[in-house]
Amino acid sequence: MIDLIKVSKAYPPDVQAIADVSLTVTRGEIVFLTGMSGAGKTTLLRLISRMEKPTKGMVDVAGMDVIKLPQSSIHLLRRKVGMAYQDFKLLPERTVADNIAIAMEVVYRPRSFIEKRTRELLELLDLTRKYNTRAGELSRGEQQRVSIARAVANGPEIVLADEPTGNLDAETTARVMALFEQLHRKGATLIIATHDRSLFEDTPHRVIELRFGRVLSRSEAGKDDGPAPFEAPPALFEETGA
Amino acid sequence: MRFWIVVLRHTCRNMLHTWKSQGMTLFTVSLSVLIFSFFYLVYVNALHVGERLGDDLRLVVYLDEEPAPPLQEEYRHKILKFDQVDRIEFIGREQAYKRFERILGENSDVLTGVPTDFLPASIEVYPVRTLDSLSRIKRFSDYLQTLPGVLKVQYGKEWIERFYAFIQLMRVIILLSGSLLIMTTTFMVAHTIRLTLFARQQELELLRLVGATDNYIRMPFLLEGALQGGIGACCGLGALLLLYNWITLQFAGPAAIPLPAFAFFQWPVIAAIIGLATLLCVAGSFSAIRRFLHF
Repeated sequence: MIDLIKVSKAYPPDVQAIADVSLTVTRGEIVFLTGMSGAGKTTLLRLISRMEKPTKGMVDVAGMDVIKLPQSSIHLLRRKVGMAYQDFKLLPERTVADNIAIAMEVVYRPRSFIEKRTRELLELLDLTRKYNTRAGELSRGEQQRVSIARAVANGPEIVLADEPTGNLDAETTARVMALFEQLHRKGATLIIATHDRSLFEDTPHRVIELRFGRVLSRSEAGKDDGPAPFEAPPALFEETGA
Repeated sequence: MRFWIVVLRHTCRNMLHTWKSQGMTLFTVSLSVLIFSFFYLVYVNALHVGERLGDDLRLVVYLDEEPAPPLQEEYRHKILKFDQVDRIEFIGREQAYKRFERILGENSDVLTGVPTDFLPASIEVYPVRTLDSLSRIKRFSDYLQTLPGVLKVQYGKEWIERFYAFIQLMRVIILLSGSLLIMTTTFMVAHTIRLTLFARQQELELLRLVGATDNYIRMPFLLEGALQGGIGACCGLGALLLLYNWITLQFAGPAAIPLPAFAFFQWPVIAAIIGLATLLCVAGSFSAIRRFLHF
């Protein structure tokens, strides 16, 4: 699903964010990317979503050569990849519902579907009361959840989450992880960049540690047949056509 | 269909967010269209007047000798070589006398004893009644003057030259007002769209990140430009129609000064002006988004 071959990314004048990283993520896999701040986690996610181009190497996502992808076709990649950003990238003047709806509007979902899906996601993330609240008025934790809701709204094949629980308490963290597990069960591929060790301590999934832009260690994925470590609320994702 | 609904919704939202600058742009486009179309209307009507006046237009070339048929052919050939004409008539001395006698009517007895060949033979040249012919009449006259055996060339010099000067002035004004129209519509629209783009910069960046196509992002701005051009042109032409009706009413009635037949634009011209303004505004909009969104 995602192949990175000897990928490097340098920023001027001489900052080596990623150096010779090779990584393969198979369809339906969950991978935790960990490492200290500045290890290159965010850069790696940005390379996968083509927010950046690598200095060298090859990035292949869902059968698309991300580097050679022309500007006019980037939307094809972005529709397959839902990304929850570390800085949230919300529109502060627009309501929470508008912020989530924007991802569905660009793929021309009907209004009724968008409204239903938005309410569903807000309920899952305990934000129902914030439906009409302006995003700028939310706490950082709430903003983070809205960003996650927007990333998963279209049921993308790949979800990239950059520090998705950085501002959340334990209970809300569990809700977010339950949402990710639900997506995983539906076949989505997830890469979660975090330095919160509690998220992956007992995980059966693969954990990749980055340091100074290089892969420091890889833990093998355990058998993933058993119950998910985070309990998902019932009927998280009904068949809404997403 | 859903694409256009979304585009329309975005366009309306953009226009509402920047309604003040939208209003200013609409006003400017309307005013530019009004100025341009006013002068164009005057010009078109002046051309009609020119065509009517041209009915009586002829060049009379007086000759020292009555030309024999071969010479007449030569004259005809030389005249046609210079310009296309409606018709050429050769008037002999006797024919000129008879015509003069007819003009004198009851007073024709003053001609008693005057030889019938005292008037010179002439060639009457009727130019094609187009503005181009009118504009070339002076040069045509100068050319005819150079033909062998020509004594003098006469035409309604004064009014033609004044009329032609007026038409020339109108052409310059139309060019200037046309340039004004192009500049204001293109620059004002581009400026307004740029304001909208700045206001929505964060949203546009996000739209790209969540998978919006280039068309999804740019189409609302192009539609905004088209609406500004279309609505602005309609307002400008509407104002011109009101002005036209007011002038017509002011000069209507038996006691009023008779005006030459003054007509408003035909539908194709109206459609062309609206289309042109719309196109210019779309171009302005396109230039702004191209620079800003790097398409």
